Amino acid sequence: MFPAEYYFQQLFNGIVFGSMYALLALGMTVIYGILRLIHFAHGALITIGGFIFYVFFTVFGFPFIAVMGIVIALGGLLGVVLDVIAYRKVVGGPEVSMLITSLGFYIFIENLMKLIATPQPYPFKPPMFLDRLFSEWLITFRTVDLFIVITSVAIMLLFNLFVKKTKIGLAMVATAESGETARMVGININRIISLAFIIASAIAAITGFMWGSKYGQISYDMGFTAGVKAFVAIVIGGVGSIPGAMLGGMILGMLEMFSVAFLPPGYAGYRDGIVFFVLILILIIRPSGILGEKEVK
Amino acid sequence: MLRVDGIDVHYGVIPAVRELSLSVEKGQIVTLVGANGAGKTTTLKAIMGVLLPRRGSILYKDEDISQLSSDKRVRKGIVLIPEGRHVFSKLSVRDNLTLGAYHRNDREGIRRDKEWIYRLFPVLKEREMQMAGTLSGGEQQMLALGRGLMGHPELLLLDEPSLGLAPIVLGEIYEVIKEINNSGITILLVEQNISMAMKIAQYAYVMETGKVRTEGKSDDVMKRENIMKAYLGE
Repeated sequence: MFPAEYYFQQLFNGIVFGSMYALLALGMTVIYGILRLIHFAHGALITIGGFIFYVFFTVFGFPFIAVMGIVIALGGLLGVVLDVIAYRKVVGGPEVSMLITSLGFYIFIENLMKLIATPQPYPFKPPMFLDRLFSEWLITFRTVDLFIVITSVAIMLLFNLFVKKTKIGLAMVATAESGETARMVGININRIISLAFIIASAIAAITGFMWGSKYGQISYDMGFTAGVKAFVAIVIGGVGSIPGAMLGGMILGMLEMFSVAFLPPGYAGYRDGIVFFVLILILIIRPSGILGEKEVK
Repeated sequence: MLRVDGIDVHYGVIPAVRELSLSVEKGQIVTLVGANGAGKTTTLKAIMGVLLPRRGSILYKDEDISQLSSDKRVRKGIVLIPEGRHVFSKLSVRDNLTLGAYHRNDREGIRRDKEWIYRLFPVLKEREMQMAGTLSGGEQQMLALGRGLMGHPELLLLDEPSLGLAPIVLGEIYEVIKEINNSGITILLVEQNISMAMKIAQYAYVMETGKVRTEGKSDDVMKRENIMKAYLGE
């Protein structure tokens, strides 16, 4: 058996990774809610966010806060571009064509990144103040871990306030429930959709920075795993549910860390197998996910 | 106030309304009746801009609005209360009303309209914080009406407000519809409950298979019993 500290460590790691999954899942869910679109290309925003940070921070040496601003702005901008050129025309068409479009755009962006950045991974370092290591206490962590957890919680709280307390946030929830009715009360749905893409993509771009800091490197294909994990988190939490997406992300993070903790040494590589096994179990017990509603048609 | 002139409306490829014309004068209640599938809802959707007509024109206050999007028409004062209520079930009663006034910025006016709606439907005030999906059918219809009124319409399009309501609630809703009209709002009412609609409306159009078959003052149309039998199956 491991000492108790080990489990605390895994718990902490689970929260850190869970936070990142939750952020991605949140964005994907918002877009799914409004467009009924599984936005696979969402993962690409992580890659792009990571690279934007790398270029402006590591290469150009801009100050951290400014770079974060650039990451958010460019991420959001890219989201609108995706919305307008990739989805606007296929929305309302068969779900399969939307699915293929989103998958297609993911692959396109990944290849584009491969072309621009070469297949070589880049070493990724957060700024000094986020790279400090603490190991005097129960667990070992870096300041960037705290940054990830605090930023994620803040984003989720802000988002929650946004959809509950602001008129535009309410309009977003309304549009997710019924676009046609939303239009009838005078909501410009296209604007709401664009806004959803801006928010989701900006969050994903920030997550790209977190992801790079955690793994210590970025590469053209990092968005794939990220996208799949966000998708898994959504399914665990319940497709279409915003709290579900956050919960699903956390559960997925925990699952990953604890399956490693309880696996015999040398079997850590089978982590994903365990994770997906538990996913299937959850879906057998609750086919609509933990917080998902049964679809009433 | 509203002049619909020879519109053709399709649902996808299926023609649902052909060469339909009607007009509504300011301050009136005009009803559009007809059997199921006659094209009444389609007509309202075309006036609202949910469906765009392939031919013909829709003049609202002498302006052709037939190609404008719904949200722009709401801004011009046209509001549709859809059939089957369609409240935002996951939002509270209050948030539903707030969204009804989505395009407005006149705080004072919004507050006044909200008070007015709570006076019209006291039950909505009682259930202010409740999720709309948990309301009874009648209450949801009231909320749908209230949400529509929050948009400060000049022309209110009502689609089957009586659908699935108990007689008592029905009477209540119709009282309110009269009151809304008395406050100066023009109403175009689609109904299958013909006797209710005819009682309240000054003018009636009878539709059958996508066309207007007959029209006239509602009393006159009511008297032409054979017409009622032939087109409405009564």
